[in-house]
Amino acid sequence: MDTKKKQGLILVIDDEWESAIVKHMCRKLEEEGWRTLCVDLGDTPKTGDNYENYALYAIEDNNPDGILLDVRFGEHRDDQFKGLEILQKIVKQYPRLPVLMFTQYAQGPEREIAVRGTLQWNSPVDFIDKLAGADEVILRLRRLIGDTPEIMKLGELISLDIHNKVVFIHKPGSSPQLIDDINGIKFEILKELAITWYKSPSELVPFNKLERYFEGEEARASLRVRIREIKDSLGKTMGIRFGASDLIMNIRDQGYRLSPPDHY
Amino acid sequence: MYNYPTLQRLCKLLGLFVSSVGIVLVLISPLFSTEYFPYVLVIEPITYAGVLCALLGFALISAAYVVPRFIGKKTSTGVDRGTMEQWSLVTQRYFEMFHHDLGRPLSRILGKERELRASLKYNNVEESEGTIDLLDEIERQVPNFRLMMSNIQALIQLELPKTSSEIQPVEPEAIIRKIIDRYTPIAKETGKEITWWSDPQSFGVVSSNSAAIEHIVTNLVDNTMKFADKFIEICLTKNEYAFQVKVRDDGPGIEPDYQRRIFDRGWTPEIGRGQEKTSSGLGLFIANTLAKGYGGAINVASDNSKMNSYTEFILELPIIKVK
Repeated sequence: MDTKKKQGLILVIDDEWESAIVKHMCRKLEEEGWRTLCVDLGDTPKTGDNYENYALYAIEDNNPDGILLDVRFGEHRDDQFKGLEILQKIVKQYPRLPVLMFTQYAQGPEREIAVRGTLQWNSPVDFIDKLAGADEVILRLRRLIGDTPEIMKLGELISLDIHNKVVFIHKPGSSPQLIDDINGIKFEILKELAITWYKSPSELVPFNKLERYFEGEEARASLRVRIREIKDSLGKTMGIRFGASDLIMNIRDQGYRLSPPDHY
Repeated sequence: MYNYPTLQRLCKLLGLFVSSVGIVLVLISPLFSTEYFPYVLVIEPITYAGVLCALLGFALISAAYVVPRFIGKKTSTGVDRGTMEQWSLVTQRYFEMFHHDLGRPLSRILGKERELRASLKYNNVEESEGTIDLLDEIERQVPNFRLMMSNIQALIQLELPKTSSEIQPVEPEAIIRKIIDRYTPIAKETGKEITWWSDPQSFGVVSSNSAAIEHIVTNLVDNTMKFADKFIEICLTKNEYAFQVKVRDDGPGIEPDYQRRIFDRGWTPEIGRGQEKTSSGLGLFIANTLAKGYGGAINVASDNSKMNSYTEFILELPIIKVK
């Protein structure tokens, strides 16, 4: 089963797109299921203006789902903040297109200049520094773009098919195994936890968000029982007994947080 | 805000002018006789005026040198604010000039390191322990470098006058989420668990300074990462007037004697124990100074008893609601 649904196209606009750090980033994005396309000037002189023109054409031609944009294009004084000019044009022409800007330091004066420009505070534009790990970039893109994939992999061992409402266990060396007793409310609870985990892995899901699947005064107790059942169902197939601080954790009686295992 | 150096220069110029006029008047006074100006106390009034002008001029020049030492508000470094602002502007310009170049060597090393790691994994090559250590060390030092650069920037900003444009609509929840994104992989690598939540869940928008919030909370989380045993919790909450970010760890706690010193510039627990410093001791100082600068505060609660030890930093910043 292909658990990595194609999630769309990320356009990379960076004069250093052939550098190891950008290439590594693109590879990680592709492992995540995104396609990547780098703006390449070919034999055209590598000036900021040329990057701007090529980038705007590339957006028009390819209709990307998200953009990774560098701030600095070369050493020429005029091109040191070229990325911000390109950003302003993108925001003006495509106000809903998510843009993640690569800066050297995400809170530097560059951001201040950009924010004081054409950006609205709620524009789908975010800043991340170029030294950030690929996982950090992926999380930012997930939140900026907003969609969740139809098949969501929770770590290396569990996946959720959101469309068909089923859960699979992936054992090394064998085909994915369907878990048939996580359905109905249990699937919805796991889905709720998984969607939050997908966009923000350390974030807790508060009780009230999970208790809405239950009626009556015993909602909290019913939720606790369902969580235990989910853990038991997954644990039985994986041959693991999940304890209180495994897989789905109750944090300080505020809510639950998913912590999927990566290995047996 | 007064611009002290300009005021000082004006004072000196005015003093020089007035004293020069005074000296000229004294010098030319013998040319005038009592038919123009009647004597007072046997001295010609024009001499009086000249002496007074000269004294006033000298007083102005002296004041230009002496007064700023007394009225110039001292900064955290002991230098008066006016001078510090000048230095900070210069440093900021240098930092802006070089900040890209400072990161470039590391970004190149990092790119190569990540490519090498991917290539080893892809080709199923069994790495030697030394290779893994080297690759891990490079990754481990990156967050330190990022925080160090951000702290240099914050230190420069601390000495600059605040402008109203720094206050903008911000979503504290989004800022916290970004910081956690950065620290979650580090926590995972060291066997620690970070959990965070916002109460209420949709926190909304407040008017504040996003860079300041990010600097403060990053320093608090970074500090917590060093001392936590297994669990780190970050909670964003609010009341009618203020919002709070609570950063809690299950580490060994802070000795009561040290609690009042942890926000001192350059202070680290090693200083308290007479050992060599392992960090700059600037993180909590920056966090606390920034919080105060935006009308807030950081409080610390800690228990260093063997059972249930913990430390909790509570950042509180005023809410300015966005209309």
